[in-house]
Amino acid sequence: MKPILLLLLLFPLIAALINAVAGKNLSRKAVGFIACGGVLGTLVLAVVAMILAGEKTYELIFFNWFRVDSFSADMNVYYDPLAAVMTVMVTFVSLIIHIYSVGFMRAEEGVRRYFIYLNLFVFFMLVISLADNLIFVFLGWEGVGFCSYSLIGFWYEDEDKVKAGAKAFIVTRLGDVTFGVAIALFFILFGNFSILHIIENTAVLSAGMATLLGLLLLWAAVGKSAQLPLVVWLPDAMAGPSPVSALIHAATMVTAGVYLLMRLFPVLALSSITLSIIATVGAVGTLYAACAAMAQTDIKRILAYSTISQVGYMFLAVGAGDIVGGMFHLLSHAFFKALLFMTAGLVIQALAEEHNIFRMGNLRKVMPGVFWLTFIGAVCLSAFPLVGGYFSKDRILLATFMQPGALYKILWTLAAVAAVLTPFYTFRLFLTAFGERPGTLPRSATVPLPRFMVWILAPLALVALFDGLLNLPFGPGKELLAHYMSVVPGSVPNLNAPADLAWSMSVGSAAAVLAALGVSYFLYRRPKEGTSGGFTRLLISGFYLDLFYHWLIARPYRRIADFLFVRVDEGVLDSGFIKIGEGVEGLSGVLRLWADGKISTYLKMVLAGFTAILTIAALYWGLW
Amino acid sequence: MNLYAIAFYALGAVMLVSTTIAVFQRNLIHAVVYLVISFLATALLFFLLGAPFLAALEVIIYSGAIMVLFLFIVMMIREERKREVEWRRWGQWVPAFFLTLLSLVVSIALITREPDARAYLITAVATPAALGNYLFQHYWLSIEIASFLLFIALVGALYLGRSVDGEPGDEAGGNP
Amino acid sequence: MIVPFGHTLILAGILFFIGAACAALRRNLIMILIGVEIMLNAAGIAFIAGSLRWNQLDGQAFVIFIMAVAAAEISVALALIVYLYRRKNSVDADRFDLLKG
Repeated sequence: MKPILLLLLLFPLIAALINAVAGKNLSRKAVGFIACGGVLGTLVLAVVAMILAGEKTYELIFFNWFRVDSFSADMNVYYDPLAAVMTVMVTFVSLIIHIYSVGFMRAEEGVRRYFIYLNLFVFFMLVISLADNLIFVFLGWEGVGFCSYSLIGFWYEDEDKVKAGAKAFIVTRLGDVTFGVAIALFFILFGNFSILHIIENTAVLSAGMATLLGLLLLWAAVGKSAQLPLVVWLPDAMAGPSPVSALIHAATMVTAGVYLLMRLFPVLALSSITLSIIATVGAVGTLYAACAAMAQTDIKRILAYSTISQVGYMFLAVGAGDIVGGMFHLLSHAFFKALLFMTAGLVIQALAEEHNIFRMGNLRKVMPGVFWLTFIGAVCLSAFPLVGGYFSKDRILLATFMQPGALYKILWTLAAVAAVLTPFYTFRLFLTAFGERPGTLPRSATVPLPRFMVWILAPLALVALFDGLLNLPFGPGKELLAHYMSVVPGSVPNLNAPADLAWSMSVGSAAAVLAALGVSYFLYRRPKEGTSGGFTRLLISGFYLDLFYHWLIARPYRRIADFLFVRVDEGVLDSGFIKIGEGVEGLSGVLRLWADGKISTYLKMVLAGFTAILTIAALYWGLW
Repeated sequence: MNLYAIAFYALGAVMLVSTTIAVFQRNLIHAVVYLVISFLATALLFFLLGAPFLAALEVIIYSGAIMVLFLFIVMMIREERKREVEWRRWGQWVPAFFLTLLSLVVSIALITREPDARAYLITAVATPAALGNYLFQHYWLSIEIASFLLFIALVGALYLGRSVDGEPGDEAGGNP
Repeated sequence: MIVPFGHTLILAGILFFIGAACAALRRNLIMILIGVEIMLNAAGIAFIAGSLRWNQLDGQAFVIFIMAVAAAEISVALALIVYLYRRKNSVDADRFDLLKG
């Protein structure tokens, strides 16, 4: 088992290293081949590990990173079904995205750099998924943040894109601060960093300490997963290439926050306050993002807000105590969102970098494959009955409703409203981008795309469509995922909901989805650009959250920085040194008068020197 | 206060006055002449202090050769009658003047504090024979070196003084 | 019994500083040289006085050397002045300022 997991971690790292060292001399195809090969190897190993491990958990020690007294950062791995599921998902989606990228980046400069970062990202994500030692997790955490920054700002010549990358990095960094504090607290309370050790000994924690730790971890997860209030970086992160958005901002990095919460769930579960707050953050974020998504015109921004919304569901699941539901939705979302991002990338490339959905249209005849793939993704996202996202979203709503207390009922309402809005904005996107429009001319002049880019998405679409099979609430293969994950601490396999409640919910959500679809179809059959009234502006800017942060934090910070730079740094420090230099210059100017080359001056100098020596000698001899 | 003392102070006064006047002269020839007066007084002082041979040498070499040499050169230099305007700008001479004054005061103070300085000089005479004896007994090497030095000075002055177009320059003054 | 030794030294000292003042204050090259001469002469007076004070002939011997050196130095110095005069047509010390910093 150990060598399998070790190789699993190392494969993408080795691929990245090969590309870094030798990639300059290799062709574009070879670089892509190495990168994809690395991920393929990892995927195979992940599946093998999953099969071999069964339902056992492993704690494996790889090697000791550094050690100071009792403070030891080892690179350990904690492999349980949760980690198994996560690694398989990450590697599977990464593989498809890597292959897709080979086509997507076919005309770009810096392909080698791209694949190095992409492979590194996979490596760091696997570290987060597998690590047992919290410092090791933190390494992966920061690593994915860095790779995300590099990849968002991939087209570094465009300053806006670089700024978007920096914004992502800085905002997630705000979250990472509390993660560091939490790690330190864990060490103080438990004496070591091992996750396994922590979740086995949660009894030592008082309720207050558990709440504190939970909130610290929540803040870190909020930063990484782009939930309220640290949500502002994700829409701007769409400046990166579409496969990057698919991998990082749909399937993996934004789920890393949720994953962390799930790994340390026994700690969170000790405090009902923490769970309530987590659920609230999730539910409010879901509705917020769904509203904002309704007004966006950039295809990728719609998907970005949609991601925020769906990740909010995962937070809601954790807050409702249902890890299985959260993980189930994580999987579904990874599949269909990655699919949607990649089809969006195909559309954008085909229309020569057009992002605005109101300038697209009539694509069905031109790109039928992409049309159907997007349709599948949209259907999954909308939670259309019996399709992938339907079962996972349903389970989350059920789990929320079943929690005691009025708060959860309110949160259920918010989540339900968002669930109605989701199909609405999804099909707004689909119909506007792909639908028939008599007014516009058919886009016969689209950029031709490599066929394999479309074909490689087919397996992903199938998985997304039938992913409900993982955890059906009925039938022979009932609740596969739940049973598999039953050994994971904190997971509840069976919600034990009253049957009629479950039934009425399922039927109700199905009906709501269909209704929303109908409304959307009616409104956007002949789409025209929406009004740009105040309400639209409110939504499109995400309830002015960016502006709020700008006024509250960015501007004052900028003011202080400018003040310090001009008045202190330049005014005091720099000018201090300049004044010293000027002083010396002045002094030398005075001295220059004595070096005027005139003999008479020099003779006077000799006399002066002699007088000085004489006087000093006289004083020395005690004259006066 | 015997005769020797009076002679000493008189000669001293002459020396000081003539030297001072010489220093402040505009006309170079006047300066040289006043200096010759000073040197003659010096020669008499040497005689008073018991060095008759050196008194003679002072007249011959200092006044007779060196000052005459000065006169030669002064007459070669046909300076324009432009006034040296140095006394107008007091920044030129005031500091040096006060420096000199200061050193003078300090040295006088040093000298008077010295207990050795109160001893009276007893008259004595060094006959030329005795001086020559002593000189060639103890300082014969320095004599040789001094003559060599004079030879080098001769050569140097000859070379520096030559004209570019072959006109013979002044010969250096030297001891016979 | 002539005078206290100190008086001769003071005389020599005053003469020396008059010579120093002449060398420092005058701009004419020849006057500077004259100042040097005065200084040398004053030193000679001091030596003679010292020789008499301690009844040694070394002082007088040294005055001979002083005179020899003074003669040599003056001859070369005056030759230099002639040369400089031929170059610049002036004996103003301030004219020769090529070493100006």
